[in-house]
Amino acid sequence: MNMHSRSRKALGIAVASALALTLAGCAREGGGGGASGGGASPGITDTAVKLGISTPLSGATAGPGTCTVAGVTAYFGAKNAEGGVAFGDGKTRTVEIEALDDGYDPQRAKANYDSLKGDVFAMTAGLGTPTNRAWRDAAIADEVPQVLVMTGDPLFSDTEESPWQLGFVPIYQNEGEAFGKLLASSGGAHKVAILSQNDDYGAGYVEGFKSAVEGAGNVQIVGELTYEATDTSVDAQITQLAASGADVIFNAMSVTPLTVSALQKAQQLNWLPRWFLPSNTSSPGAVVEPGGGAAFPAIYSVSFAKAPASPAFAEDEDVRTYLAALKEHGNYPDAPAFPHCQWSWMVGATLEQAFAKMTAPTREDFMRALRSIENFEAPLMLPGTAVSTTEAGQPAVPTVVVQKYNGKGYDTVEAFE
Amino acid sequence: MTLLELEDVTAFYGPVQVLEGVSLSVPENGAVGILGANGAGKTTTLRAISATVRAGGRIVFDGKDIRGTRPDRVAALGIAHVPEGRGTFGDLSVRENLRVGAYLRKDRKGIASDIDYCLDLFPNLQDRITSNASALSGGEQQMLAVARAIMSKPRLLLLDEASLGLAPSTAKAVYDAIRRLRVESGIAMVVVEQNANLAFTLVDSATVLETGRNVLTGTSAELRGMDEIRRAYLGG
Amino acid sequence: MASVPSPRQRSWVRWAGPLLLVVVLAVLPLVFPESVNEIIARIGVFAVAVLGLNLVMGYTGQVSLGQIFFLGLGAYVTAYGVSNDWNIVVVFVLACTIPAVVGLLVALAAARLGGLAIAMVTVALPIVGVPLAKRLSDYTGGSQGLSARFGDAPEGTGLYDDQWRLYLVLAIGGAVFLLTRNLVRGKYGRVFAIVKKNENVASSVGISPYRYKVLAFTLASLIGGVSGFLYMLVIQYTSPETMSFGHSIQLLAAMVIGGAGSILGSILGGAYYVLVPQLTNLVDPSLTALLQGATLLVVLFVLPGGLASLARPLGRGRRSSHDRRGPTPPITPSATTGSGTAAETPETERQGHP
Repeated sequence: MNMHSRSRKALGIAVASALALTLAGCAREGGGGGASGGGASPGITDTAVKLGISTPLSGATAGPGTCTVAGVTAYFGAKNAEGGVAFGDGKTRTVEIEALDDGYDPQRAKANYDSLKGDVFAMTAGLGTPTNRAWRDAAIADEVPQVLVMTGDPLFSDTEESPWQLGFVPIYQNEGEAFGKLLASSGGAHKVAILSQNDDYGAGYVEGFKSAVEGAGNVQIVGELTYEATDTSVDAQITQLAASGADVIFNAMSVTPLTVSALQKAQQLNWLPRWFLPSNTSSPGAVVEPGGGAAFPAIYSVSFAKAPASPAFAEDEDVRTYLAALKEHGNYPDAPAFPHCQWSWMVGATLEQAFAKMTAPTREDFMRALRSIENFEAPLMLPGTAVSTTEAGQPAVPTVVVQKYNGKGYDTVEAFE
Repeated sequence: MTLLELEDVTAFYGPVQVLEGVSLSVPENGAVGILGANGAGKTTTLRAISATVRAGGRIVFDGKDIRGTRPDRVAALGIAHVPEGRGTFGDLSVRENLRVGAYLRKDRKGIASDIDYCLDLFPNLQDRITSNASALSGGEQQMLAVARAIMSKPRLLLLDEASLGLAPSTAKAVYDAIRRLRVESGIAMVVVEQNANLAFTLVDSATVLETGRNVLTGTSAELRGMDEIRRAYLGG
Repeated sequence: MASVPSPRQRSWVRWAGPLLLVVVLAVLPLVFPESVNEIIARIGVFAVAVLGLNLVMGYTGQVSLGQIFFLGLGAYVTAYGVSNDWNIVVVFVLACTIPAVVGLLVALAAARLGGLAIAMVTVALPIVGVPLAKRLSDYTGGSQGLSARFGDAPEGTGLYDDQWRLYLVLAIGGAVFLLTRNLVRGKYGRVFAIVKKNENVASSVGISPYRYKVLAFTLASLIGGVSGFLYMLVIQYTSPETMSFGHSIQLLAAMVIGGAGSILGSILGGAYYVLVPQLTNLVDPSLTALLQGATLLVVLFVLPGGLASLARPLGRGRRSSHDRRGPTPPITPSATTGSGTAAETPETERQGHP
């Protein structure tokens, strides 16, 4: 019995030490004291800088998540092949990227951050609001940059609350506002019906839209309804809104099948308003065509990135460079299925801008440099949009342009028709 | 005085009617056998009493109709069921199995002395007291199942095929012990048994079931001599 | 446990083992780097969650697919309390009792149903929980979730935050494990095992299976609430994602891989839940789901009783030394049929039979 208890204890200790040996990161060392001297932050040397990404690479959001890695990896892969990126401190560094899968699980995202924070200079490009929120406080406490992340959550663009963060994509309010402005400036009188998801997503869109049409005499909101993200039908809401006699419907919906059925239900009722669809539920192939969008006088959405699949950009220099790099350096041989690939590529270009403005290899200086970019038209951006990081409360891409469905894809429009 | 009275009891397994109207009367301190071929409804009758199948008709125990009472409440009334296949707890030791049998009792001293009584009744268990029940032989498991039922201090014991799968000598040993128990404790019993000869060593009277009905009822002495019984159930 | 040759020796062994464990657990957080402390703390969180699931499923045999809901509920209660500056002890008590009360109410309704019906009711919990958490945004922060930081190392202890938090996880988690261990090895554990094995036989000795199913489910919910409290302590953030149904299935897989109906298995299950996603990330981040699935299958094929069954040879050694001491029982021919399973089932780690 003695012997057995002892061997059990020995086993326990052996397991614990094995755990320690295999998983031990760097040992405890205050904040900065890296090896490369001169007070450099972790993850950066005179010849290389390392970036970390935690994003969903498995599960339901694996598609967009994979894109968030592919774009920026392709961008810096191409740069590294040319010798590296020129930094503002006069050194040229190659950019390495270490991406980890979080499966859209906040707990795993936090674990990924914990395992990366000692090795990487900055965290970037990861997709998801809860997954980014999970380690936001820790990143602030550790003073680790969490920048150009793919979330429409305004918190990440609030400089006061989030000194070490910066969101990349437009926040929900930006999209709603862009459409509202276009409508207000149209001159014609419009009755608008609003259908929105009953959460912060829907509320953000509606808030942006209302702020833009506030005081515009030509826009009247005649009906406003909500639905739950888990609802399987919005037929009742569409029927009720149809009765309001609106000629425009502002449809702040994030669920693809519901959007399709909303389009179909309106036709069934012979209600043919002009539609506004958010950027993530306006895909020509997945939403508008199956929904029979051609029946409506117009369908509007917003965007800031060129669609590589669109014939309009087939010969575009940016698009061709991008697609070639994605294949060669991004480990993404197929045509990009999600806009996140393009966005991630722009993240690469934006980071390069920040690197060029850095005068010291520190995280503090990087944040300063990152927050000083003005009107940078990153590759793949649509004319009329740009990266601007100087305005508090705004993500790196605060502007979107309104586009109109043309039967195949979307074209940028200047005015509401 | 009558302890248990079944009147026209019916039972179904899904759409299949297994009991079509069974009647039975067990006097205080009495022992009644239920005989019959496979599928005649013997086991189901016991289950109807212990409320582990839903039954129709009247089941009166100690003057109260207990039909529709939850099985654990029926057990609490003093009816202990030794199910077919014994149902001992293989992961628990013999002693733990006996303690489980006394689940409803709070009298520590009484429990201890009843455990001693069980071990005296079934001396084989004495030797295996710390072994897991799953390590026991078939006969020992049957003894344990009976002993566990006794531990609840029942007024009525329902015994289902206590000889099943046992060597004749072992089966006899089990029945010898149960007979001694009957004599010493006066617990009333309902005994389901394929082996009618064995049953007649224990019971005062018996009823014969056929497709869920009583076809014959009488004292052991009457039935033992009957040709039908001999032919049908005694292999004669 | 039966008699042991020398009582003095026995008490020495009895105390030395746990004492050494406590000393080791007290020292390790001081010597490990921060990253390892954080990993161990996370393992602690999910080991407690798996333990709760084990209580209702591994020990009592009731399929529950909703355990993550109680973790999420505990986490939300904690986050809400902390962000409203409630006393942390009050927060802890609420994080235990609110999930326990909800669990009790669910169990009172669900335990009347048999078999798969209970499973379906528990499936509904995370499925209802996620939209509910989004809807009640005044309390839950909606789909953006709630952050709450607490449990920083007090001034004067000279400890780093990660060390202090790990101590808290070890203390709270250790207490829950100890209490649960005593529960399942005592009278209640015996009854749980009986209800799991055969409800009819349980009824025949007067046990109400219903009452014990409700008890097990309620305790599992309470333990789930504790794991939610620890989740907030370690992760410091919760959102509707926390209680998504997929994680409930992962918890179930962790329980089976660790070992159903085993205290040690719960710890190993927690380790599996936390470590395997990280290890698969080291292999190839784009193949994590595939690698995790493969790991699951390999473990189940090689060790159907879960990782805890690796520890059985030790238990077997102990047990056989028991048997040798007792008088050799006369073995009847039919005794050999059942003896194989007995030898493999150590008294100390009662494994659930599949």
